[in-house]
Parts: sequence; structure tokens; C-alpha cells
Amino acid sequence: MAGLMSICRLLLVVGLYVGAVANVVAVDSADFARDVQPILANNCFACHGPDEAQRKGGLQLHAFDYATARLPSGNSAIMPGRSNQSELIRRVTANEDGVRMPPPETGKRLTPEQIETLRRWIDSGAEYAEHWAFRPITRPELPQLDDADADWVRTPVDVFVMAELRKRGLSPSPEADRRTLIRRLYYDLTGLPPSAEEIEAFEKDTDPQAYEKLVERLLASPHYGERWARHWLDVVHYGDTHGFDKDKLRRNAWPYRDYVIRSFNDDKPYERFVLEQLAGDVLYPDDPDGIVATGFIAAGPWDYVGHVELREGTIDKAITRNLDRDDMVATAMNTFVSLTAQCARCHDHKFDPITLKDYYQLQAIFAAVDRADRPYPSENTRRRQTLVNERKTVQKQIDSLDGLVAQRGGEVVAALNVEVQELRNAAQKDTKGYHSDIARNEHQVKWVQVDLGETVPLTRIELWPAYDPFNNIGEDFGFPPRYRVEVSDDPMFTNAVIVADHTANDVSRPRMHSQVVHLDDVRARFVRVTATKLAPRRNDYIFALAELRVIDSTGRNIARDATVTSLDSIEAPTAWSKANLVDGKMDERSVSAAISALDARRRTLRDQFLNDRERETYAALTRRMESIGRELDSIPADSLVYAAATDFKQLGQFRPTRGRPRPIHILYRGNEKSPGEQVGPGVPRIGDLSAEFDLPENHTEGERRVALARWIIDRRNPLTWRSIVNRVWQYHFGQGIVETPNDFGRMGAVPTHPELLDYLAATFRDGGQSIKDLHRMIVCSATYRQSSAHDPEKARIDAGNQFLWRQNRQRLDAEAIRDSVLVMAGKLDTTMYGPGYFTFAFKDDHSPGYFYDRYNPDDPTSHRRSIYRLIVRSVPDPFMEVLDCADPSQAVAKRLETLTPLQALSLLNNGFMVRMSEHFADRVAAMADDVPDQLRAAMRLALGRDPTSQELSLLTSVAQEHGLSNACRLILNLNEFVFVD
Amino acid sequence: MMRQRVIRGMDRRQFLWQLGGGLGGVALASLLKEDGLLAAPHQAAVGQRGLLHRQGGLHLLPRAKRVVQLYMSGAASQCDLFDYKPRLIRDHGKPWDPGEKVELFQSNPGMTMAAPWGWKQYGHCGKWLADVVAPLGDCVDDMAFVHSMVSKSNVHGPATFMQATGFILPGFPSMGAWIAYGLGSLNDNLPTFVVLPDPRGFAPNGPKNWGAGFLPAENQGTIIRPHADTPIADLFPAENNYITPESESRVHAALAELNQMHLDQRPGDSRLDARIQSYELAARMQLSAPEVLDLSDEPEYILDMYGVNAKPEDTNAPMNRGQETAYFGRNCLIARRLLERGVRFVQVWSGADNGFPRRNWDSHEDIERDHGPLAWGMSIGASALIKDLKQRGMLDDTIVLWTTEFGRMPCSQGSRGRDHNPFVFTNWLAGGGIRGGARYGESDEWSYKPADPAMTTYCYDIHATILHLLGIDHERLTFRHNGIDRRLTDVHGHVIREILA
Repeated sequence: MAGLMSICRLLLVVGLYVGAVANVVAVDSADFARDVQPILANNCFACHGPDEAQRKGGLQLHAFDYATARLPSGNSAIMPGRSNQSELIRRVTANEDGVRMPPPETGKRLTPEQIETLRRWIDSGAEYAEHWAFRPITRPELPQLDDADADWVRTPVDVFVMAELRKRGLSPSPEADRRTLIRRLYYDLTGLPPSAEEIEAFEKDTDPQAYEKLVERLLASPHYGERWARHWLDVVHYGDTHGFDKDKLRRNAWPYRDYVIRSFNDDKPYERFVLEQLAGDVLYPDDPDGIVATGFIAAGPWDYVGHVELREGTIDKAITRNLDRDDMVATAMNTFVSLTAQCARCHDHKFDPITLKDYYQLQAIFAAVDRADRPYPSENTRRRQTLVNERKTVQKQIDSLDGLVAQRGGEVVAALNVEVQELRNAAQKDTKGYHSDIARNEHQVKWVQVDLGETVPLTRIELWPAYDPFNNIGEDFGFPPRYRVEVSDDPMFTNAVIVADHTANDVSRPRMHSQVVHLDDVRARFVRVTATKLAPRRNDYIFALAELRVIDSTGRNIARDATVTSLDSIEAPTAWSKANLVDGKMDERSVSAAISALDARRRTLRDQFLNDRERETYAALTRRMESIGRELDSIPADSLVYAAATDFKQLGQFRPTRGRPRPIHILYRGNEKSPGEQVGPGVPRIGDLSAEFDLPENHTEGERRVALARWIIDRRNPLTWRSIVNRVWQYHFGQGIVETPNDFGRMGAVPTHPELLDYLAATFRDGGQSIKDLHRMIVCSATYRQSSAHDPEKARIDAGNQFLWRQNRQRLDAEAIRDSVLVMAGKLDTTMYGPGYFTFAFKDDHSPGYFYDRYNPDDPTSHRRSIYRLIVRSVPDPFMEVLDCADPSQAVAKRLETLTPLQALSLLNNGFMVRMSEHFADRVAAMADDVPDQLRAAMRLALGRDPTSQELSLLTSVAQEHGLSNACRLILNLNEFVFVD
Repeated sequence: MMRQRVIRGMDRRQFLWQLGGGLGGVALASLLKEDGLLAAPHQAAVGQRGLLHRQGGLHLLPRAKRVVQLYMSGAASQCDLFDYKPRLIRDHGKPWDPGEKVELFQSNPGMTMAAPWGWKQYGHCGKWLADVVAPLGDCVDDMAFVHSMVSKSNVHGPATFMQATGFILPGFPSMGAWIAYGLGSLNDNLPTFVVLPDPRGFAPNGPKNWGAGFLPAENQGTIIRPHADTPIADLFPAENNYITPESESRVHAALAELNQMHLDQRPGDSRLDARIQSYELAARMQLSAPEVLDLSDEPEYILDMYGVNAKPEDTNAPMNRGQETAYFGRNCLIARRLLERGVRFVQVWSGADNGFPRRNWDSHEDIERDHGPLAWGMSIGASALIKDLKQRGMLDDTIVLWTTEFGRMPCSQGSRGRDHNPFVFTNWLAGGGIRGGARYGESDEWSYKPADPAMTTYCYDIHATILHLLGIDHERLTFRHNGIDRRLTDVHGHVIREILA
């Protein structure tokens, strides 16, 4: 109904304005959503709104029925059609304190204009239209324009913008010149400047589709994803450390960051993007993106001390978990549906239809998940699987040739095969020993040691690798790539002598050969082997050894049957046990040597029984088997991502739920000490959507998240589609159609172009949900292409450029500035993806230290794009922070833009700027012979244009007196360098 | 290409920080003086640029203009410093039984434990102080104690955020940022909000404790490290071989000229002009900042009073009195110099992160070993600051706030340490409209919880009181962020009228 009405109103409006474009008097001067509701929300709802606990005088003004009901005094707050008899008007116009509303202690008082608006609204019937954001989205018709205006239109965007401009007596600005347009497009779509050649080519391009082709090229560039992923990461407040006290590194957060970049570059349909980030692990477990995408849920801060050190069952533990889930709820609801659900943690939302219970139902959706590292199937997994499959095929071919040999060779071959097999079996039995607990990552340190009973002289220590066919590993199963051997008289090894140190680099695989440490004049009672890098198994890591021998001067193994201790051990007798490490059951002569000898005999026989072609095939197959083995060896173990997790290795007091949701109770006033009723998963009631999840009694936790995701992407959800198109719009223009991208509630802003917003939302939703298509419609518009030049006449009507009579000049954000400086210096490394680089010196510790003053700007690893920098929450990079980069502790829907002295000092004096200015100078020095030409080149690189003669002479004199580096440093500090027209 | 070695035979730090004003600043210095823009330190220009001045003035008649916050990181023990409890002395070594189940951070309650030092009364008000903070004895008639502080968290990270920002989550503006936002600057040469960290490093949460959160970045605390080689990051060019004082003044002037040409072609965008001015302000800061840190014009008796030249003791202990005195004293003296020159809010930290060996107040193992030197050094610096502000007539409009994230238990942890106590701890205030000798709130006989469970004081109340003294109604200093009108005091806070003069 409401939707139909709004269309009728729209048609009326359009009808009225056709041919009457100069008339700027607003026709619908007391529109509830636009004019009235903000007054009520800002001044009245705190005490007379949906929040029951705060309600005063039993009055509610947020709905027609309540507001018009008879009050105890006999009056009604609102008498439709009769403002003079409405108590509301009497109270807001009263002079005496105690009568006048809002009360004096709020410091609020309505202006005469606001009171007049309320009067007009009441007199015209006090219609409570549904809040704009909760109305269903229908695709509005395009407004009618006169012919001249219609000529200006390039995409549907322009029709709506022009109609709004005309309503206000405004007209669009001329199109910007090509140089401006290409610089604008490059920064907007890729965050990087165009090269001088690209600018020149574009300026000269006579193709009428030159602009559109440029847009296509930029949207296809991988740099596009790097630019737009950064916007998304602002909103989800992504960081690479936990924040709070003891701010530890998240070494595996970056796969989520890469996922976002990839998703933008692949133009993933938005629906899929939402589903993956909330429940990809449930819906797409085998897709590498499925699990990684849930890095979304884990992106925000995490209180290490609260989770790891606080004891179970304490109030502070409950607080820690409550706030941790609060972040998940807020992130999901702010990001996808622009609702400030977190406001209802302590009380019913004061302005929006979200009750305390709704809020805790949202918490229940995340009740089983924590933030932790978890393995995910990656490209490596796929490669490994392909190789394993191939190995099976090759083995079959070998087997069939072996079959031929057996057939032709008869008993001789058969007997030999039996012998080899028996030896293999024997080897397997005897080549097991100590086996550590399984670790989730290879950097856990594990040790095993023997007690020789007394301090004795030692001459040799031997480490015998184990054998286990598990996962086709076989030889040197569990042998650590990095380790050290120590001896000591102290079982704690506080005073130890390192006798072998292989901790710096990986050792080559020992196969089945014992590793011998020769000792000279060493006496000790204890011998310890410490693995500093564990051996991969399938998805995890271990340390295993078949035998540890300690040989004395008489050649005796004095470790035989000694007491073995270890950090941990799986103790799975008879195969694996600490005692097996010193059972002496590894025969002196190498088992594998025996196998090799038998193999050699078998080869001779085989050669006898195969013909030339078969022999050749056999050799090729064997070679392939070997190379498959080598390739498999070279594939790193499965990767980890910091994401939503229900199963992970316990860390201190931080234990996984294993999928069992923690009970969620309503907490009145957000107080963990007084839990109320227990609630299940659910969502607030928005529009026609059900607030209940249709889940079976014994549903899994993952189904809760799936249900939330499906509610979000439901086509009837009025918020989702408006939210995303508004975000995209905002980044293109520097201002949203709705100025509060994370809050579409009653306290948020109202749209400047409601029909345009709905047109974009409906088109996006019902089309392919392609963000790139949305970009096309926006950046190809005439609106977008306007000049950003000022016009005092138009500014008098619309100083803030709300209605887009020009484009907005935008200051480059922190990342674009840093990346551009690297481009100027000729240093930008465009390698994509992977772990973040450090712009600080790092000291890992109980409380890790991050020292930005010790960053070397010439460190080439730090010359990749800024999106790949490691983001520390507690100690932000001061250079980026002063340039207003996003704070990863808060959802940043829109960055602030400041211009401060500290920013000036950073851009002038920070080591990065000082050094890159020099590189910039070196680069242009090599491009031309004399100083003016070098400066011309520098200006073309930095600003995309030639300097004027005045500029050039000024710069030349600086360069001639003080060197080119100083001139280049100056150029990097120009207003024109950091602003895009 | 012209290249010259700038620094010959001169220590780089000396070069920058003594001649520092010569870089960049010099070019503009004469210009600014002509324009009367470069204010002398003592007549700091009234740069009233805060929100409230734009909104038509302060809400209330202000009693103070400036704030200095002394923040003890790691949780300073109220019952070993300021909250005298004879019962702890009487029952020392006996089992401690407050009559309810006690939930501690990392231990189970040990025996009742008295402070490892004696107590005496001071001043007309007769305030009891532990011997380890005896230097503050001279000031008690200027100080007001709040003994009923409670925190919402017993974990350092969230609790440190709470005292600093009013929230136990990261990302909220600190008190200094709110005040900078509301009142703006009192000067044109220095930042509005300055932070002096402990020389050993940052407290839990790092610089997020003085961040601007969602307020504009200009309101965040600027770090000054008087003990470091580079006291202010990026104030002067990083190590290089091409920037000289001459090149610097030339570059600044040419930059201003080129930016002006750019601006002339783009009228109507005040940001372009603001950016040009930000470079001028930066140059002024280059002139003023080194002067603030240069203590050579301070008389000997002032340096002695602050203990700036105290010598570290030769000891194996993690901390010692001499070093703590020198650390905290220098920061307090710098704080005074900053306040004097119109810095609105100064935050001085005692104590770094929760690492080992102990370098903050988190004395789980040994109160005497760690609180001993920290408290002694803190009390010398703090008392010097109060006395010095007073003798300069500045204490009247400068608020001194001493705080910490929570307190410590009346029982022992191990045999000498104490575990966290979020249920009660102490804050004290002095100066700017505070009634000297006042006491507000009382803890129970053990200093375990407030004596009256209904009489709890939160940081909201302290924050509301400070804003009140500055002329701000804490409910009206707001900022809309993600749909919520945010306040320093969230939805809480009462002005503590009992401690107002």
C-alpha cells in the first residue's frame, strides 16, 4: 500500500514539474519521512518512542495510533487536522519550563520553522508514512525531462539528478576536460594515477566511445579490486592484530582481505558475496572462498586477555563474550542492512523497530562461533589432489607392467615380490617410535628428551627417521625440517649446550638415513631434540622420530631403554610410544638399504621380461612417479585463515564450542549479572519479512547463519539493496544519496534522491547484482563527468552540492597518497595478495611491540600497494593515521577528511616521503638532461599535466639552488597532487 | 644534481632540536612576527576554534581551562597509597573473609595483607598517605580524593579504555580528544592535546587510549617523548642528505606560492586554503615545540623540585626510585611547560605494557618491589607539578586528575603481590575548581568494595565533573556516529558536586 502511495506521489511530482521546471517551491512541504520524522526522532523519541523502559508520561509519538490516543489529561498529543488543539503543539510552543517540550535539561528547543512544519503536517492529517528505508523497493519510472535536458542524459542516473536539479532552479556544470576525467576515473576505480602516456593517448583519442572504453579497461584491471576492497574493509573494520592489551599479530587474517579483492575483481554477484561472508563455510565448504569469506565475521577486534586468560564461569568472561558477539552482530547488521542493531543491547532501540529481544536473537545467530585460525582448502589442496590422482593412475600402469613381468617371470619374480613386501611390512613395524601431539601450525615448538641416568661422556647422537605410509608420506615421517639437539645436566635445560642447530633453514629430507651428531669432549646426562618447525602430515603438523641413540666411547647405545620425556606425545602403542624411541628396534643395517638391494634384483629381472618399448614406458612411468613425489613435497601444507570458527586448538582458557551454541539470554540494561529469558536465533521485523527463522529443533549452528544471510538477500528485504548501492554511490561522489551509510534508521539521514536510490537498488537487485554494472551506470553518467568547478550562483541555492550540480573535488585517501608516492618514485611493486608487509619493526613478546620509527622506507617488501600493509590496531601507522585512514576498531562507513599541521609535517618530513622524493628525483633525472625538462617530466607524472611557465621557473630555481630532490619533495606536497578535481 | 652533506661534526639531534626552528620555520618566522601571528609563549593566542565556540559558547561558566591527566598504567593499588585501612594492618597475615565469594582475575584470595610501608596524616585536612607517597603530603589541602571508584572490567585492556574513553571497547574518543573537539585550542603553535608516554613504551591498548575515535583526527593526542632522540615524530625531516635550513625555507615559500596559484583557479573550496594554512601552522609548530622541550631556561631549584636529574640506582630490581623520579619528573615538568604555552590537555603516563620484567603498576608478584619506586617517583613529580602550577597562579584554572584503570585486592597474591580489584579504587583531583582537602566516597573496611554499595563512582562521574569545570554540560557535548549521538559519558555520569569548590 505504502509503496503504491509513494509511486502515486512520485507521478504527481513528476507531472507537476514537467514544463514548470523553474518553479522551486516545494510542493509536499510536510512530508513525514523527510520533514517531520527527523524533528520527532531528534527531539521526542528518546522519551516518547519505542523504548518502553525510557517512556515518560505513557506517551508514544512514533506511531499514529499511539500519538492520537487520548491522554490521561483528556487531550491527545496529535489531533489530525487540528494543530491548535493538539497537545504536542501546545507543549512545544509553551514558554514556561515544566510545560515546554523538550524539557530544558535536554538543551533542545524546536525552531519556529520546525513547529510550523509540525503544524502543517498535523493540519493535513498527520499521516504517518512508513519510514522510507522500510518501504518495499519498487523500481520508479524515469521522471520526464524536457528535450534540452534529455539531451544531457547519458545514463538513467542523469534523469533523476536533472529532475531534482530543475526542481531547485539548478542546472548541471559542463563536462570536465579529458585530463581531469582520466585522473578522476583512475583514482576512483583503481586508486592509482594514470601514466603520462595514458593521459596523452586519452586526450587524443577521437573514438566517441573513448571514455566508456577507458572505464572498461579500468574495471578489468586487477587494481580495481585492490581499490574497492579497501572500501569494504573499512566498513567491516578489518585488521591484522587483535587490539586491546597484548595486541598479538593475526598472521592469517590476510586470506580474507585477498578474498575481498578477488571478489571485486571477479564481480561476484552480491547475493553470493553476502552468503559467503556469513555462512560460506556451511554453504560452500569445498570452495576455497567458502571458509575464507567468513573472515568477515572475525574481522573486528578481539580481547586476547579476556578470552585466553580469564577463567570460565566468571562475570568478566561473560562480558568478554557478550561484547565479542556484539561486534559480530553490529558488523553484520551495519554492513549489510545499515541498521544500528547494537543500540538495542541495553534497551529497546529508541528510534527503530529493534527490541532488546530482537538484538539477543541476533546474538544467538553467532552463539557458537569464535574468531580463530582454521584450515581451508586452497589452490594447494587442489594441486595436491590432482597429483595424488595422477599418482594413482601412474601406479596402475606400473602395476599392470609389473603384472606382465610376474606373468612372464613366474615363480622367481613372485618369490622376490613376497620378500620385498615382507621387508616393507617389517620396516613399517619397526620404524615407529615417538610421535608428538598434532599441531595446527608448523611453528609450534615441540621437544623430546632422554635421561641417561648420570652425567657421562658422549661421542655421538643419532636421530633415526620414522616410516609411516599415512597420507603417502612413508619415509622420514614426522622428521622436523628444523630442529636443534641439546645436551644438559639439568632436565629443564636451563643451562644447555646446543650440539646441533638446524633452526635457521630447512634441512634436506633425510629419507631413511640416520642423522648423526658427532661430539667431542661432551659430558651430559640429558639429551633433547627440539623441533622448531614441524613436519607436515595432511592438514596438520607433527614431530616424530623412530629412534634416538646416544653412543658412548665404547660404541654402546646408552640411551637404550632410558627414560623418555617430551612436551607431549600421542602414546598410541604399540606403533607410537615414547618408549619405542629407545627400544633399539631399528636394525643397524638400514632397512631401506635392504629394500634397495632387493629392488635392484627385481629391476634386473624386470629388464629381462620386458621388451624395449615396455622398458621405456616403465622407465618413463617411474620417472613420473618420482617427479610427482617431488612436486607433492614442494606443495606447502594447507593454509590457515583467521575466520569464524567452532573447532580449533584450545589456547589457555579459549575453547571451541565444537558447534554447540552457547546459551544466549536477554540481558536487561546489557548487564551480564542479570540474565533474563533464553532466546533462539531471529531477526527484527522489517517490512513484510518474517522475523522468525524456520529452523528445525535440532538445527546446526551454521544453519542459523545461513538463515540470517538468506533473510538479508531476500528480494523483499528493503534495506540490503539500498544499502549497497548507496555505499557504491558514496565512494564515487564523496557523499551518499543517504549521508549515513551505516544507519538507514529513523536517526539516519533521509535520501536526497529517493527515487534514484530505489531505481539503482531495484536495477541492481533484479539484474545480475553486478557491482561493476553499477559502476558503469554511475561513472558513465553525465552527472559524474561534470566539472568540479565552483559556481557562486548555484552555491547560493545548494552550497553543499547535495543535488550534484557539479562533481565533488576529493582529497586522496591515505592509501591513494602512499601508493601514488610509490608510483612517482618508480618503486611501486604491483605484486598482489599474500601476507601483509610491515611498516614497523616488530618485537614479538608477551605484549608485542610495534616500532614505526624504525621502519626503513627502502625496504622493498613495503613497496607493494597500501592495501597489503599489515594493519595494527593498538599502534596504528602514524603516517597513514594522520591521513585519515580507517580505524580498524570501528566500522568506518565514511572516512573523515582532515587537513592538519601534523599531516603537513608527515608529508614533508616522514622518512618515507623524504626518501621517495629522492627516488622520484633520480627517476626524472634519468628522463631528461636539463633541469626544466626533468621538472616537466616530474609535473607530468605527478599531476598529469605540463607546468605553466610561472610554475616551471619557480620549480627550476628551487631545483637549481637546492637540488632536484627538494623540488620533487615540493611537488609531492602540492595541493594539486592530493586533490582530484 | 646538487647534493650537500648537511650535518658536519654536529650531533643530529642537537642540530634539529637547537637549530630546529631554523628549518622551515625560520622562513615564516619573520613573516609571522610581522603579522603578529607568532604569539610569545606566555600570551598564548586564544585560538578558540572548538565546536562549542562555533555553537554559541560554553554551556556553563567555566572554572578551568586546562587539564593534566596523570595515568598510572597497570592498576595502582589504592590500599597501598591513598586508602588507609587500619583493619589491614590489624589482620595482616590472617585469612581474609569479606563474607562472600571473591572472583579474582588470575588467583585465589590469599591472606589479608597490609601495605609494606607505614602511613601518616598530612595537612589541615589530616589526610592519611602511605609513606611511599609522602612527597604529596604538602599538597593534600589542594587535593580531593574519590575512594569509591569502580570499573566495569577487571581486564587491563578494556578497563584502561574505560578510564581513558569511557567505553570498554576500542575506537572511542579519549577524554582529551572530546575536550579538544569541544573547546579547541588555546594556542596557535602547539597541538591541543599532548600525550607524554612512559619512556619504556605504551600502556595496554597503545595509542588507541588517546585516539580521536570517530572525531576528526586533529583531536587525537600528539605524542611527545621528551626522553627520546626524536621527541615528536616527523617534526623535522628524517635523516637525509639534501635538506638544509636554506632549502627548507625556499621549499616552504615556493610550495605556498604554487598552492596559492592552484587555489586562485579553484575558488570556493575552503579546503584548499585550509591546507595552505596547515603548512604555515606546521612551520610554527617547528618553532615552538623544541623550545618547550628545552629545559635550559629552568632554574636549578625547579629541576630539583621535579627530580629531573635524579640518578638511576644500581640495582637488580626491575625498577628503582632514581629512575622513576627522573622519568616521571621530566614528563611533569614538560607538562607544565606545555600547559603554560596553551596546550589544552596533557596526559602523562606512568607505566608501560604488561610485559616482563615489570614495567608498570601491575604488581601481581611484589607490591613493595614495583609500587615502591613507581609511587615514589610519581609522588615527587605530581607534587612538584601541583606546587609549581600553584606558584605560577595556574592551579586555579588547571585541573590535575590522577587515575588508573582499577585497584588492587586487600588480600595477597602469592606472598607479596596483589591481584586486580575492579570493585574499588581511588582517583584524586586538584586545581581548577576542585575543593582542596575534600573526600568523596568511601571504601569498606578492607578497601575491597565501596562502603555503601549504592555509592559507586564511575569514570563517567569523573569525566562529567571535569567537563562541568570546563564549562561543558557532559550530556550536550555529542557527536553523531553510525546513527548514535555519542558522548564521553555514554548514557551515564553525574557531576560530583561534593568535591567542587
